[in-house]
Amino acid sequence: MTDLTLATLLPALESRFGPDVKVLPSRKEVLGVVQVKGERLVEVARFLHDQGTFTHCALVSGVDWIEHIEVLYHLWSDALKGYLELTVETAPEEPHVPSVTSVWRGANWHERETWDMLGVRFDGHPDLRRVLMPEGYRFHPLRKSFELHEPEELEVKARHV
Amino acid sequence: MSEMWINMGPQHPMTHGLWNLRVKVDGELIVDADPEIGYLHRGIEKICEYRRYNEVVTLMDRTCYVAGIAWEQLYIMAAEEALNINPPPRAEYVRVLSQELQRLSSHVMWYAAYVQDIGLMTPFLYGMRDRDLILDLFQSYTGARMTYEFMRVGGVRNDVPVGFTDRCRKVMDWFDQRLPEYEKVCDNSTIFLERTKGIGVLKAADCVNDGVTGPMLRAAGVDRDLRRDRPYSVYPELDFDVAVYDAPDCYGRYRVRMEEMKQSVRIVRQVLDWLDRNPGPVLAEKVPRFVGTPSPPPGKEIYVERRGYPKGRGFSAMEEPHGEAMAYIINEGAEHPYRAKLRSPVFVNIAASKDYLVGYRVSDIPAIMGSVDICVGESDR
Repeated sequence: MTDLTLATLLPALESRFGPDVKVLPSRKEVLGVVQVKGERLVEVARFLHDQGTFTHCALVSGVDWIEHIEVLYHLWSDALKGYLELTVETAPEEPHVPSVTSVWRGANWHERETWDMLGVRFDGHPDLRRVLMPEGYRFHPLRKSFELHEPEELEVKARHV
Repeated sequence: MSEMWINMGPQHPMTHGLWNLRVKVDGELIVDADPEIGYLHRGIEKICEYRRYNEVVTLMDRTCYVAGIAWEQLYIMAAEEALNINPPPRAEYVRVLSQELQRLSSHVMWYAAYVQDIGLMTPFLYGMRDRDLILDLFQSYTGARMTYEFMRVGGVRNDVPVGFTDRCRKVMDWFDQRLPEYEKVCDNSTIFLERTKGIGVLKAADCVNDGVTGPMLRAAGVDRDLRRDRPYSVYPELDFDVAVYDAPDCYGRYRVRMEEMKQSVRIVRQVLDWLDRNPGPVLAEKVPRFVGTPSPPPGKEIYVERRGYPKGRGFSAMEEPHGEAMAYIINEGAEHPYRAKLRSPVFVNIAASKDYLVGYRVSDIPAIMGSVDICVGESDR
């Protein structure tokens, strides 16, 4: 896609993926906010990477909204000089979304961290281990059910023998 | 020969912090790498959810112990975005001054540590001595040398003292003399050149796909610097060049940092001239009072609704000395953020280490990992 602009990209995204993609009201510090259905995430990611010049996956993070879990992706485009925000909703019980590591290898550790901190499984991730907390830790600390003032029991297993 | 895993760390002179680099070796050749972090994880993102905005500034200093003020500004910028507060222009200039002094001190610190890793002792002493001059400057206007607690929602804590700009100019003149000397010491050293040129190569396409940012990315020839490409604060009004080099190896990263230091000196001079000409307040007037008052101890009443308090999301990205750092804050109309997320550039640069380690020798590891400029406090948060 030559002379790519946001005005052409977002409608192209909507017309291609139909109801699975919804353009949400934007904020001034990002290029746009796009809500994506989990099943189509990898296709959307591939489209944005190949046709939308979003070659850099800057951040994968998540938010626990108690009723659902929101997984956020911030993608940078050198051509558009800005970040596009993708949001994917998933259920709070056994949350899972497809992994985008096949599109951006850089998402690897961000996804590991989101699994570690929020318990979101990334289907198709090559190596979904905890990254900050030790293996064998029972909690996902950034879930709202984890309260700071509760004493916790820590069982640490050796990571590798 | 049979392959085996070795642990370099958590305590190892190469690591410059507490992390573990597991490498699989075949004799001297590295065939696989599995970095392991988390030893310094303090749960800063979780603690942020229990603290008012200004209180978190103290924590942000501890996020990265060589570039504390960069993280302070990152968090405060996202908070201001979420709360809809605009700092006065003089505050922005003092912030940019702090950023560039911090970049200078962080790169000098990197230079000192790196050349020592490679085996040159004299430049280490040069670097440590000159870094102290910048820390003295910081001390004179923030009161601290490393943990500043200086940024506030809506501005900065205080203005620079009388006579500061002249003192700062003298230090910048000193750096004008010293920076070419730094380069001379390294560029005339056969040891340095042999240990850095062609070592730890990560090509531009791999850098981009791995999410690597900062001097590593620019050394590979990718011309991206958020100060210019996604301007924040008053960077659009300042004149500077982005350092780019076309050798994706350790030497290129050294070159980029050297050039960035010169550009930082250039920016600092412009900011000082502006500060001399434009007096004014350094803190916005309309900041909700509770932003700065201490929190009650953590308990069930953390999400206190405040009437008329804006709900919103704040997102900030900045070019920190190590690369591209981001903060994301969700404010749900309470005193504390509902969620705060920090992106550390070092986290991603370590994650990609397999791609630039495999194929080199065990003896290259200190040279390669040193060139990444690792700050574990930042990657583990």
